[in-house]
Amino acid sequence: MTTGTRSANGPATAEELRTRPVRFAVAGAGGMGATHARNLAGSPEAEVTWVVDLDLPRAEALVADIGGTATASLDEAFSAENVDVVLVALPTGAHRIGVETAAKYGKHVFCEKPIARNSEDAEAMVRACETAGVTLMVGHVVRFFSEYMRIKEILDAGTLGQIGMVRASRLVSPVMERSPWFADVEKSGGVVLDVMIHEIDTLRWFFGEVERVFAHGLSFTEWHTKRDYSMASLRFRNGVIAHLEASWAHSNFRTSIEISGEHGLLRHASEDSATVTFEPTAGIDYEKGVRPGRAYLRPTVEPPHLRELLRFIDALRSGSPAPVDGREGIKTLNVANAVLDSMRTGQPVFFNEDGTVKQA
Amino acid sequence: MTQVEKTVRVAILSFAHQHAFGYAGVLQRMPGVELVAIADDDAERGQAAAAQFGTQWAADFREVVARDDLDAVVICSENVRHKEMTIAAAEAGKHVLCEKPLATTVEDAQAMVDACAQHGVKLQTAFPVRFNAAVVALKQAVKDGRIGTPLAIAARNPGTLQEGWFVDPALSGGGAVIDHTVHVVDVLRWMFDAEVTEVYAEIDRRVSDIPTDDTGLLMMKLSNGIPVSLDTSWSRPKNWPTWGGVTIDIIGESGVLALDAYNNDLEIAEVRTPSYTRNAVEFTGDPEMVTAFIDAVRNDTEPLVTGVDGLRALQVALCAYESARRQAPVPVVTA
Repeated sequence: MTTGTRSANGPATAEELRTRPVRFAVAGAGGMGATHARNLAGSPEAEVTWVVDLDLPRAEALVADIGGTATASLDEAFSAENVDVVLVALPTGAHRIGVETAAKYGKHVFCEKPIARNSEDAEAMVRACETAGVTLMVGHVVRFFSEYMRIKEILDAGTLGQIGMVRASRLVSPVMERSPWFADVEKSGGVVLDVMIHEIDTLRWFFGEVERVFAHGLSFTEWHTKRDYSMASLRFRNGVIAHLEASWAHSNFRTSIEISGEHGLLRHASEDSATVTFEPTAGIDYEKGVRPGRAYLRPTVEPPHLRELLRFIDALRSGSPAPVDGREGIKTLNVANAVLDSMRTGQPVFFNEDGTVKQA
Repeated sequence: MTQVEKTVRVAILSFAHQHAFGYAGVLQRMPGVELVAIADDDAERGQAAAAQFGTQWAADFREVVARDDLDAVVICSENVRHKEMTIAAAEAGKHVLCEKPLATTVEDAQAMVDACAQHGVKLQTAFPVRFNAAVVALKQAVKDGRIGTPLAIAARNPGTLQEGWFVDPALSGGGAVIDHTVHVVDVLRWMFDAEVTEVYAEIDRRVSDIPTDDTGLLMMKLSNGIPVSLDTSWSRPKNWPTWGGVTIDIIGESGVLALDAYNNDLEIAEVRTPSYTRNAVEFTGDPEMVTAFIDAVRNDTEPLVTGVDGLRALQVALCAYESARRQAPVPVVTA
């Protein structure tokens, strides 16, 4: 094999990726896919060569903005010579076909969270990437937020001592009003697989593996098509007790985390730490007492959604493992599905030491 | 012409619980109420309190409850002693306002309820949160349908680490969970006219070296089907700017109501003794609760918060401990 060039069907090597911008095929031109595509197109480290969407005009509109070729075919884009990495931002149920197709053509893969709807699909995806020798990263973006990175440093430094109660929340407006597929809990996993999975992954990153889970919520009630909400109790192997809250029943997006330890207490809430607040006056209805919600913003020089891709590019260029690999994605997914199972059965779910679910 | 109100004569039995100071202050300021005595077997503590509130001190509570010039007692002893004091007061025909938790076992709480019923005296559990102006407004907002059907509740009653008898299981009956479960459970039972039917809990000692639990998370179901989470942890460090608080977020069909009952609105940073605190300018709940007890005694009406209310809330806390031991949800049987 000649260095600096691509062997037939072989994944792009670290060495060749160091010589030029990394070329991405972005699959899915919806909310997340478009965000990633624009971030990549704006970075000197990357280039978007293909955008895939079954809704071809949507893909075409995006490439008109950022360049590249639009197609409705995964195979056409993923097999192309000018692709190093495939970014899968398809609906969760299509993650497996996206990742397996990428692996088939020897392309490294970045897959949006959750890695899959169920662990069978996720395991197959990880195996496919291992067999093909391509690197798989799962987009657990909270690990790339400056606030949570700083908290991780504080925890690792032992500043708070042994940790007791942890509370983490992510509150979102009812998303099913604009994306009805989210209301199908069997397909989407509801608010737990879309929202709470962030807190599950972040706390696993902080505290390691989970020993047991118990949860309440609306995902399996008659309300779930209008509002979804879940509260989970997580007991970690290291003894930490955590309360996770995920909502599609609030108005403004916000997150919070609080960590109580023997040497102190740490708290971060997105609405308290906004650097820009937007307070619209249009839409006030005095008679109904309705006021439009405020938006709390914290613009940064390196947005977390770009940062996670840059760290993936760094890993590919240095031949290191992905910052969040497929096995991590599976463990996080398994805890999320345990939350759903506990909500469904009303019973706690216990885990083995290797992160697999203990059978009753 | 206003009718002259009958003076209600009250004694406080023990200042072991610091809430006694607040209650004594309220009683002292209340027209038509006389604080006739303080009983405390800790002579130093009792004498100091008697001097502070301008009343008599006695070491023996039995001597005080036997007085003819006494209508009612407020019990602020260690949790495990509530029973003997309540029953002695009831036998002497004195009405009782008892600090929470009502007792440390369901049997003790039931014996207290029975004794008060048998002797025809009122028994009120000291649940001031029900009387907090924000909590009253929250109940009204739910009733008015501001958020449509209530669907789920996330609540917390965190506090600073306790010490002394509070962390001696033989006197307190438990730690953070028995201390901080009962307020929110009582508020929810009252707000929704419902019982807690099931509790799952994670409980441990994690952030201190006290002999009891300091960290607790309860996952409950109400009889109306609404799920509730409640964080009871003593998670506030001594130098955190606030003592803790009571928050209840009610997620509804068409909105969310979020209560922060003791939100602290006055920030002070002191330079000479470096400190930063946030405190509430107005602390509502205690005066209204004590006033309601005095009114019930004076007018011979049923207290708004009864002994049974105290028993039910205690039962949930005890079921939480059982759940944590068994690592399983535990039914709360109220029949």
